[in-house]
Amino acid sequence: MITLYDYELSGNCYKLRLLMSMLGIEWKTVPVDFYPGREHKSDWFLKLNPLGQLPVIDDDGFVLRDAQAILVYLASRYDPAGTWYPREDPKLLGEIGQWLAFADGITGTASAARLHDGLFYDFDVEAARAGAHRLFRILDEHLWFGEQEGRDWICAANHPTIADIACFPYIMLSEEGGIPRQDYPAIRRWCDRLKRIKGFIVMSGVFPAGPARAA
Amino acid sequence: MLDTAKTRWHPIAASSDLPFRHVFHAQLLGREFAVWRADDGYVNAWENRCLHRGVRLSIGINDGRELKCQYHGWRYSNRTAGCTYIPAHPADAPARTITNRTYPAVERYGLVWSAEEPVDEVPAVSGLAEGDLLVLRGIPLNAPADLVADRLKDYRFQPSGRLDGAEADVTVEAAGAFSAALCSRDGDAATLAVFFVQPVDSGRSVIRGVLDSRLEGAERLAVLRHHNELLSKLRDTLERDAAQMPAPAPIEPVIERVSPELAEMPEATPHGRKAAIRVQVARKWAAADGIAGFELRPIKGLLPTFQPGAHIDVHMPNGLIRQYSIVNGPGESDSFGIGVKLERDSAGGSSCMHETVREGDVLAISEPRNNFPLRRDAVKTIFVAGGIGITPLIAMAQALKNQDLAFDLHYFAQNEAQLAFPERTGTLGMALKPHLGLSPEQTGAKLREILSGYRPDTHLYLCGPGPMLEAARTIAAELGWPETAVHFEYFKNTKVIDDSSSFEVALARSCMTLTVPAGRTILDVVREAGVDMPSSCEQGACGTCLATVIEGEPDHQDVYLNDAEKRSGTKIMTCVSRAKSARLVLDL
Repeated sequence: MITLYDYELSGNCYKLRLLMSMLGIEWKTVPVDFYPGREHKSDWFLKLNPLGQLPVIDDDGFVLRDAQAILVYLASRYDPAGTWYPREDPKLLGEIGQWLAFADGITGTASAARLHDGLFYDFDVEAARAGAHRLFRILDEHLWFGEQEGRDWICAANHPTIADIACFPYIMLSEEGGIPRQDYPAIRRWCDRLKRIKGFIVMSGVFPAGPARAA
Repeated sequence: MLDTAKTRWHPIAASSDLPFRHVFHAQLLGREFAVWRADDGYVNAWENRCLHRGVRLSIGINDGRELKCQYHGWRYSNRTAGCTYIPAHPADAPARTITNRTYPAVERYGLVWSAEEPVDEVPAVSGLAEGDLLVLRGIPLNAPADLVADRLKDYRFQPSGRLDGAEADVTVEAAGAFSAALCSRDGDAATLAVFFVQPVDSGRSVIRGVLDSRLEGAERLAVLRHHNELLSKLRDTLERDAAQMPAPAPIEPVIERVSPELAEMPEATPHGRKAAIRVQVARKWAAADGIAGFELRPIKGLLPTFQPGAHIDVHMPNGLIRQYSIVNGPGESDSFGIGVKLERDSAGGSSCMHETVREGDVLAISEPRNNFPLRRDAVKTIFVAGGIGITPLIAMAQALKNQDLAFDLHYFAQNEAQLAFPERTGTLGMALKPHLGLSPEQTGAKLREILSGYRPDTHLYLCGPGPMLEAARTIAAELGWPETAVHFEYFKNTKVIDDSSSFEVALARSCMTLTVPAGRTILDVVREAGVDMPSSCEQGACGTCLATVIEGEPDHQDVYLNDAEKRSGTKIMTCVSRAKSARLVLDL
């Protein structure tokens, strides 16, 4: 059984819950009081992750940190169809790696702005917002041309990959950091598509989309 | 200085920004819009705030027929933006004043155009032909629209067939405050590019470009990328320049309260039923054996919002007035559909509709009224229709179907040829359960079977001939259905009305005391005294002229109220019911 060290309002923890839900696997959570308790900096947690960051998983004794790394692990181990992280396709793996790094960039900007606004972190919020807008412009353009080419997802595949899951949460939560998505229509449409994947779940601040087809 | 005229048309989106079941977030001159395409193709541009608690409707849910607010689940109809359902008040029909503000939305040149108070049509652009266009990726940028439009005149690009060249000669064919038409020529290749600059706010814009020829495949992509690259560079320079200038104050659009037309009470007229709307019979067809279907389209403007279970008064050429339920599904708001059964003993109503009214004729109808509202919070809903009683229940079943809620529609008729509106019931799948050719005894047995095993949070809706309704209500009561879970609508009141009593009515709010003599109704007497009362069927069946009783004992003669409501003595149908006490005090 997978144990997720979890904070309910964390987008990086949410992306793991999201993938596990879409994969249909079971897990249990250990809540970590990220705010205001700063439990991720407590002695017991630093033993799990010396970086003092969420999320962490423990899969029957195998402990792993870093949201993007955990996505790679979960998809490699628990996706029998092998579509979320296609191990046999070098180009696609390269693309996924590229966008996982991009997702880290989103965490460093959009998530930082949200921590500033919501949890009073002492960050340069204007720089964080400007950085997020720069990334969103790049992703919107990428997705817009994807639509023109008949591609619905971030990577060149006819199905979503963990790159989509990695980028999604802090984009959806960006408005909580004062970053509107109004200027990114292709990102907004991609968010709708992602919300319609079977097994999609929400978190606070992430709303469901309507049904794709008439019931 | 930015021209902020509200009369000018501007693009607010590309047509491709409105895919299936999406809500686009647009903005024009500071005002935000939620723009969504319904499944019937209609493009809605609404004020981007739910009038309930102000939450943006652009994060709402487009279910293809209605837009649902994420906050409290209020549902608004395609076209009218009128509220059709409030989850916190599941038993009530929302008031017609609950209507979000709508704006015009016209699709032209691959773009969606709007304006707050437009005059005339979307302007024609010379050189652009509908259907033979290439719409470029919209480029949002942080710079004022007038600056952007000015700089676009210096935009340099290659004609579509000659992207690898660098020698194109670009001329400005036309330029306006928010547009520029440029022609690029290189050898024998020439491309016209028309750019519209959407003023999002005082300091924000979107460049929307349209080329004069349609392209396919790789060439199309190459041209799109060519312009995207050049326009992105232009954006970067413009943003740098705009950042050096003093930032203009954002435009603050006025959020209007409910429109004056909706905020006012309808004009009081002392003479009874109103026929406020003119419609044309766009189609008349045989909806079933002995049942004529009518599709009624507005002569001008939009029809008002309706909810499942609502009916309209139809004023016929021969002066008669009859009530018919609207059969439309949710969001199907471009016309009203009704079904009229030819009655053997027609007093002139159904025979007039069948024999006299033809396609193309103009009829007067009332606004829709809903005295038979549908709850959408039941675990399961059971509909029981007898004959033409199917009409309100079809509308209800389609609404539940669209929301994927559980229901069964039991449809009793003599034979298959009498099953009306097959094109609508056919969409309901296994939920439609026809019961054909049953005798009254067999019908009773079938009803007993359908209604056995009452479970909490199940609701029953009945509509059909009087005897069948009486039987169904009796059986439901015997099988343990509470009266609050049994909803019904009679076609007509077949009871013989005893109007021999004479009594006094005191109108508490109007501060009047009137005498109702034998042979006259409360409704007549109240209206004669100048107090406006809505009414529709005027025989105690439809529920429109309901009044609240404050004091006194009503003498109920209607078929609208259920037995518990009648016993409580707090409501009265003023068109037929009277007083057992010498005096009634009404909340009028």
